[in-house]
Amino acid sequence: MRPTPLIAACVAAGLTLLTGCSAATNDGGKGGSDLTYLTFETPNLNAQFWDTSITEAQKQAPGVSVKKIVTPGTDRDAYAKQLLASGQFPDLLQSITPSTFAQNGLLKPYDKNWVNANFLMPMGNAYKGEVYIPPTNSQVIPEVFYNKKLFAQAGITAPPRTWSEFMAVCAKLKAAGITPIELGGGDPFSASMPLVGILSADVLGKNPNWLQDRYAGKTRFTDANVEAAATKYRTMVKEGYFQDGALGVKYADSITNFTSGKTAMYMMGNWFLGSVPKDHADDFGAFLTPTDDGSLVVPFAVGGSMAISAKTADPAKATAFAQAWSTNPANLKTLIEGDGAFPMLKNKTLADYNVNVTQVYKDSYTYVTDQNTKVSAFGWATNDDAMPSGLNDAFYSASQALFTSDDVHGQLAKLDAAWDKATK
Amino acid sequence: MTTRAHPRRGDPALGAIAVLTLGLYALFIVVPVIMSAWKSLTDENPLKPQTHFVGFDNYTEMTHDSALSDSLTFTLLLTAAVTIAANAAGIGFAILLNKTSLSYRMMRTVAFLPQVLSGVIVAFVWRYILAQDGILNDILTTTGITDKPITWLGTPHLAMFSVGLVAAWVLTGFTTVVHLAALQSIPVELYQAAKVDGAGRRQQFRHITFPMVAPGTTISVTISMITMLKLYDIIAVLTSGGPADSTQSTALYIIKCAFTDNRFGYASAVAMLLLAVSAVIALSVTGLLRRREVDL
Repeated sequence: MRPTPLIAACVAAGLTLLTGCSAATNDGGKGGSDLTYLTFETPNLNAQFWDTSITEAQKQAPGVSVKKIVTPGTDRDAYAKQLLASGQFPDLLQSITPSTFAQNGLLKPYDKNWVNANFLMPMGNAYKGEVYIPPTNSQVIPEVFYNKKLFAQAGITAPPRTWSEFMAVCAKLKAAGITPIELGGGDPFSASMPLVGILSADVLGKNPNWLQDRYAGKTRFTDANVEAAATKYRTMVKEGYFQDGALGVKYADSITNFTSGKTAMYMMGNWFLGSVPKDHADDFGAFLTPTDDGSLVVPFAVGGSMAISAKTADPAKATAFAQAWSTNPANLKTLIEGDGAFPMLKNKTLADYNVNVTQVYKDSYTYVTDQNTKVSAFGWATNDDAMPSGLNDAFYSASQALFTSDDVHGQLAKLDAAWDKATK
Repeated sequence: MTTRAHPRRGDPALGAIAVLTLGLYALFIVVPVIMSAWKSLTDENPLKPQTHFVGFDNYTEMTHDSALSDSLTFTLLLTAAVTIAANAAGIGFAILLNKTSLSYRMMRTVAFLPQVLSGVIVAFVWRYILAQDGILNDILTTTGITDKPITWLGTPHLAMFSVGLVAAWVLTGFTTVVHLAALQSIPVELYQAAKVDGAGRRQQFRHITFPMVAPGTTISVTISMITMLKLYDIIAVLTSGGPADSTQSTALYIIKCAFTDNRFGYASAVAMLLLAVSAVIALSVTGLLRRREVDL
C-alpha cells in the first residue's frame, strides 16, 4: 500500500479543520445584506410565527435576506454569549437583555426620532439614555391571578387590597381545604415570582430608585425593609399557603394545576393570560401583590423586539428589517393572544390588532393604560433598573432556598455578595 | 483459509494513521486543555474586547468561593455513591445474566439500554417518573406505602438522592456489560475444579469470580468515576442544579460561571481544577485497584 493517499487525506483533514477554525471571527456581521437573526421558540411563538413574521418584514425591507437562528433553550442571553464567544454574534437578537451587551458596546441604538414616533413609552426600556430594543410591548410581573369560583367557595367576596387582607384570604382558603397559592417552584424563574411581587410592591413601591441606589452602593439587600419584605414570603411558606412539594412542580405543570382548579391563586407574569382557558375565562380574575397600606403598585417592565448588533455588516438593512418587524401589528396580535403581551404601539387600540382577548386580559391591560404607580418589576426590567448580569440566577436560587430555610438574612447577604462580585 | 497481513514495523501507512490520530488528539484534546490553562490565568469576559493577564488570581479566588466548594462537595459525594452503587449492581446483574440462552442474551441488551440512551432523554423520562404527580408517587400512594406524594425533585436532599438514583441507573447498564465480559472470560474449568474440591457457590464467588473480574472492575470503576465527575446533562434536565443550587455539579457551575456570569477566565480555572481532581482520583483509584488485581 502506498502511503501517499493516506498522507494526502491527513493533510486534507488538517486543512479542513484549520479552515473551520479560522472561519470563526468575532466581527459579528456577514457580508452584504445577509443577516442572522437570533430567535427563540415557545408553544405560542412557534417556528411558523417566526417564519411568517420574517417573511413579512423582508417584504417591508427589500434586499434583506434573513437567516433564523433558534436558541436551544429559553435563555437568549446565554446563547448570544456563546455565539459571541465563537465569533458568530448575530446581526439581530430578539428579546435579549440589552444592558448586558450594550455596556460593552455590542449593540447599536435605535434612532430616537423613530422610537418617539412609533411607541407609547419611547424610553420605557432605555439603557443609559439609549434605546436598544424597540419598546413594542409591556408586561406586569407578577399579577396575582385568582379563581373566582374557589374564592366564592371559601366565602371570599372580593380580592384583597392590603397585605393583611391577603393573608386573611390565604388563611380562609386553607381553612376551606383549598390550597391558596400555586407555585411552579421546579423552574427557578417561576419559583421567584412571589418574591418578585413582594419586593416590587414593598421595596420599589417605597423607593422606585432602589435598584439604581444598589448600583451606587446606597442600598443593600440586607437592609431592614428588604429583609422585612422577604420575611413576608417566608411567612407564606411557613403558613402552608403554597401547595405541598411546590419546589418539585415544573412551571408548565403549575399552569395546568391552577387552570384546572387545584389551587386558588397564582402569582405569575401577565404572559399567563395567554393560558387562561377560553371556555371558562370568566372564572379568573387578577389583582396586584397587595401592599401594607393598600396602595396600588404596578410591577412593570417594557419589553420589546430585537436588538441590532453594533458590528453588523449592513446596519441600514438590519435597522430597516428590525423597524419593519417591530411595527407590524400582526406580530403583536400573536404576542397579545398567545403571550398576554400589552401592546405599546402609538395611535392604536386593542381593536386595531383584531385580537380576541378575555375579560381578565382587558382588566389587566388597564394597569398599563391607567395613571398609577408603576415601578420596575424586580429582576425583570431591561432598562437602567436591570440587575447585573448573572444576578437573576442568584435571585432565583435565593427564592428557592427561602422555601426551605429560615435564614432570610443569610440568603439576602448572599445576594449582596453576588451583586458586589458581578459589578466588581 | 485466508492469511492476515500484519503491519510491519516502520510501515508508512501505520505511521500516517498514527500521525492522523495524534494530530486529532492534539487538536481536540491537548490544544483546548492548553488554551483553557492559559485562559485560567486571564480575566477573559466574552462581552469585553480586552483580556488581561491576572496570574493566579482566579485560583486564589477559588479558595474562598463557597459556591464552588458546595458544588465540588456535591460532585465528589455523588461520584462516590453512584460509583459504588452502580458497580455493586453491575456485578450482581452480570452474575444473574451470565447465561447463554436467547432470553438472557435479550435481557443483556435491555440491561445495556440506559447506557446507549442520551442522558438528556433519560433525564426527561425520569423527570416524569419522579414528578409530584408522577408514576412513582402514583405507585407509592395507591399501594398505601406513603400517605401523600414525595417531593423527589423539590427538596434539596431528596433531589440529590434522585440525581444519584438516575445516574446510577444509567451507569449500571455500562457496569453490567463490563462485568459480564469479565465473567465470560473466566475459564469454566476453574468452577468445575472448585466443585470437585467441594466449594459452594459463596466460596466460588469469593475465590474465583471476585478475583477474576478484578480487571473489569478496575475499568468499570475508573470510567464510572470519570463519568460522574463531569456529569452535566442529566442534572441540567432533571433539576437544573436546584433547588437552591443543591444539585449543582462542578460541571454545571463551570457553565454558569462562563455563560451566565461572563467569566471565561474564572470558569477555565475551575475547569482546570476539575481536571486535576479527576486526574488525581482516577490515577489513585486505578493504582489501588491494579494493586488489588496483583494481590488477588
